[in-house]
Amino acid sequence: MRVSRSTISWLYVSPLMFVLIPFFVLPILVVLVASVFETDGFGGLIPTFTLANYATVLTSGLTFNLYLATVKFTVLTWFFTLLLGFFVAYFLVFHVRNPLLAIGLFLICTVPFWTSNIIRMISWIPLLGKEGLINSALLRIGLIREPLEFLLYSGFAVVVAYVHQLTIFMIVPIFNSMARIDKRVVEAAIDAGASRFDIMRLIIVPLSKSGIALGSIFVASIVMGDFFVTKVMSGGGSASVVSAFYEDISVLQYPGAAASAIVLTVVLLAMVALILRTVDIRKEITR
Amino acid sequence: MSTAPQAVTMADERMTKRAIAPSRGGRPWTFYLLATLFTCYVVALYGPMICIYILSFQDVRGGLVFPMKGLSLHWFVDLFTQVRTGDVKGAFDRSIKLAIVVTVITVVVSFMAAMAFRRRFPGDNIVFALMIGSLVAPGLVLGIGVGLLFNAIGIETSPYASALGAQLSWTLPFGVLVMFAVMSRFNPAWEEAARDLGATAWQTIRLVIIPVLAPGLVAVALFGFTLSYDEFARTLQTAGPQNTLPLEIWSMTLNVTSPSLYALGTVTTIISFLIIGAALGTIVFIQRRRGARAS
Amino acid sequence: MAVLRGDIELAGLTKSYDGVHTVVQGINLKIPDGAYCCFLGPSGCGKTTILRMIAGHEDPTDGEILIGGENVVGLPPVTRGTAMMFQSYALFPHLSVRDNVAFALRIRGLSKADRYRKTDAMLEKVRLSELADRLPAQLSGGQQQRVALARAAITEPRVLLLDEPLSALDEQLRVRMRLELQRMQRDLGITFVHVTHSQLEAIALADMVVVMDRGEIKQAGPARDVYAAPRDRYVAEFLGGQNVFSGRVDAIKDNLVSFAAPQMKHVAVPAGSSRVGKGDIIDVAVRRDDVDLIRPGIDLAPDTSSLASRVLAVEYQGNFVKVMLDATGEDEFVAYVPERVFFRDPYTIGDVVQATWPCHLARLLAKTTSPTA
Repeated sequence: MRVSRSTISWLYVSPLMFVLIPFFVLPILVVLVASVFETDGFGGLIPTFTLANYATVLTSGLTFNLYLATVKFTVLTWFFTLLLGFFVAYFLVFHVRNPLLAIGLFLICTVPFWTSNIIRMISWIPLLGKEGLINSALLRIGLIREPLEFLLYSGFAVVVAYVHQLTIFMIVPIFNSMARIDKRVVEAAIDAGASRFDIMRLIIVPLSKSGIALGSIFVASIVMGDFFVTKVMSGGGSASVVSAFYEDISVLQYPGAAASAIVLTVVLLAMVALILRTVDIRKEITR
Repeated sequence: MSTAPQAVTMADERMTKRAIAPSRGGRPWTFYLLATLFTCYVVALYGPMICIYILSFQDVRGGLVFPMKGLSLHWFVDLFTQVRTGDVKGAFDRSIKLAIVVTVITVVVSFMAAMAFRRRFPGDNIVFALMIGSLVAPGLVLGIGVGLLFNAIGIETSPYASALGAQLSWTLPFGVLVMFAVMSRFNPAWEEAARDLGATAWQTIRLVIIPVLAPGLVAVALFGFTLSYDEFARTLQTAGPQNTLPLEIWSMTLNVTSPSLYALGTVTTIISFLIIGAALGTIVFIQRRRGARAS
Repeated sequence: MAVLRGDIELAGLTKSYDGVHTVVQGINLKIPDGAYCCFLGPSGCGKTTILRMIAGHEDPTDGEILIGGENVVGLPPVTRGTAMMFQSYALFPHLSVRDNVAFALRIRGLSKADRYRKTDAMLEKVRLSELADRLPAQLSGGQQQRVALARAAITEPRVLLLDEPLSALDEQLRVRMRLELQRMQRDLGITFVHVTHSQLEAIALADMVVVMDRGEIKQAGPARDVYAAPRDRYVAEFLGGQNVFSGRVDAIKDNLVSFAAPQMKHVAVPAGSSRVGKGDIIDVAVRRDDVDLIRPGIDLAPDTSSLASRVLAVEYQGNFVKVMLDATGEDEFVAYVPERVFFRDPYTIGDVVQATWPCHLARLLAKTTSPTA
């Protein structure tokens, strides 16, 4: 007896589905269901169908501010990680002549990824703090009289921590795209009289597009879904959509929190879907 | 992230199609500019971490910032003995055990899924979309969803049920994406050749596919371990009454203001480095062994 | 598993993907035991698909495959007594040469000592003993090819299937490896089925050449028959060495066909057994090395066809000179002139010449159904 090929494929993929369905699909559905329930105010849920939670979420000025703050962090982080990631990858691929050295430098960039994110975040405290290295150095050389307060426990610190953690998510896919660019294409462009800027604009950037898209998905989805960095590095001063969600949960406001979570998830998925329309990452990775 | 391991294993391949920098002659000015940028990036990447490693070796007078006050292992002892810092030892133990379980499952399941995805099958796009969805969904929301789900069906949240599942929903998409990249280097003719020589499907997997992909599988294992060992948002609401290490660190960041926090950072980093070293060592060992028989 | 005869019979063999796109269209063919058979055709003509169906790596949509008189459709590769040598060899990259060759024996459960004894004997045969511990990546193309051959041959197949075995090699090595394949086939005494797009390779190696086009067999037979007596325009053009041109039949007299067009008034072709009538447009083939060039004005022997033409280009080939003429309008017309003959009285571009050949050496081709005719 011969089993059909698609049956075999489904057998292979079934363990994955056994994880994704109970631990991704169902939890999201549970949150969706909770978002249309009412709360009894003590953590209990009253099974009804109401869109009131959504109405509250969508009409409240608080929500607007939260989204604004989250989007601000996302855009800033995305911008800086892209800038850094792109040029670091470009340097490694196109400027380091010895390929083994390039691989070595690349690995140096990736090693911190394998260490604890939380520790890496905390590690900014002795640098950025009021009595931290940067402030004491600036004070000593007389550039400032008072310690700079905005360095730690501020929006600035949040962005620094994000960029520190997430640039690697840009470097790796962009490096990978760039490494696939045929060197002769660039040489042909030089032969055709293209300037360094033309090459960058007309060849390198378009051919690294898929890496940029993939990196953007990682960075944007992590920042928008995060609350930890915002909470610790802003010193409680800033909030994000997810940190507000966390607060709601801790005071047992499940339905409201769920509604806000669903809105966030929809926004995130829409954004990712939009990026994915421009690049077929499945083909990109398997090619 | 899917390509970090490729860079490890495919170094020789990269050599052939790299570097636009002219192979002779002087460096362009952009080289110096970008080299400076790169150096700054690496300094910013490692600098802060090195600071806390240094600060963790202060003596009892130590504070959270420079200058160093004394030199001792005080805060490491403090970390594992003081009650006020919580159950660090237990958290280590739980996190490492859980990470090992997650690693094993991630390697096996990602490998199988990547086997399926080598050809198209009905519904493959749905599976792929679910995977990407699971990857980008906000971790805390998913964690709470899992918590509520367990609550609704009346199971207590615990490390090896709810936390394990929640972490897998994060490590598996990563693992499968890495496996995609690894698999793209696998020539399907090898599989056919094995079949032609009489191998059963299982023999083909055991004698050809797994050995050929071994370095890639180690890379997936490294991903699985690290992502689980470091996972916070999904674990927060699913780990049950006892903390995993990141949860422990999280609660410490909120109450502990002594260098024992840094000591913890140093210890977890040492463990991370041991794991990275083990993974790279295994990959090198596999390649060596192949080369050794050949000399 | 007893090794039986290695004769192959394909009956109505059809393969179509998704039921629309048919790549192999009802092939019927008998390959005798111990033959060296080459499937020849351009890429996409279905030759590799046939090979893979014989090997059992693809299932036919319809039809039968008999090996040694036994229908093997649906059987797994290993029970068919076939072994395949893959395009670019597909050597296992993680196994040494010895372990690659020993793979099939390992699968059969032979002890390490037994399989290495057999393997080393096989490596001896393909002269790879010194390289037994190397990895495939450390071998040259020719060495890899020999490993692939040894790996396939160790299963003691009755049929060896070779998918473009020489295409990964450079020109010189290809010629050497051709001899190697021939020697192996004689030594093993089994049927070789070899797929190639190179007519040189096919006619050099094969006892039997099968010319394919778009999933159909155009002609099958001994190499010399196919080369010297192509059945139609497609085969003649694919195998090369022939001038093919067409003309409208004017008359048939004494079994000689003559043509209507004025520039072909000195051309006559034996009608043979084919049925042609006045007014038909027919294809004629004449071997390029049968064509003599003479200056205009020189008298022709009787029963000689001639075409008046002008030299378009001259290409020196070493042992002969290729002279391209404008004799037949759109069809390419070439004469292969022996080097010594040519340089006795060289032609230059623009010279007016007469291309001549004895009438009986030209052949009428079967009418092809394809619109290219």
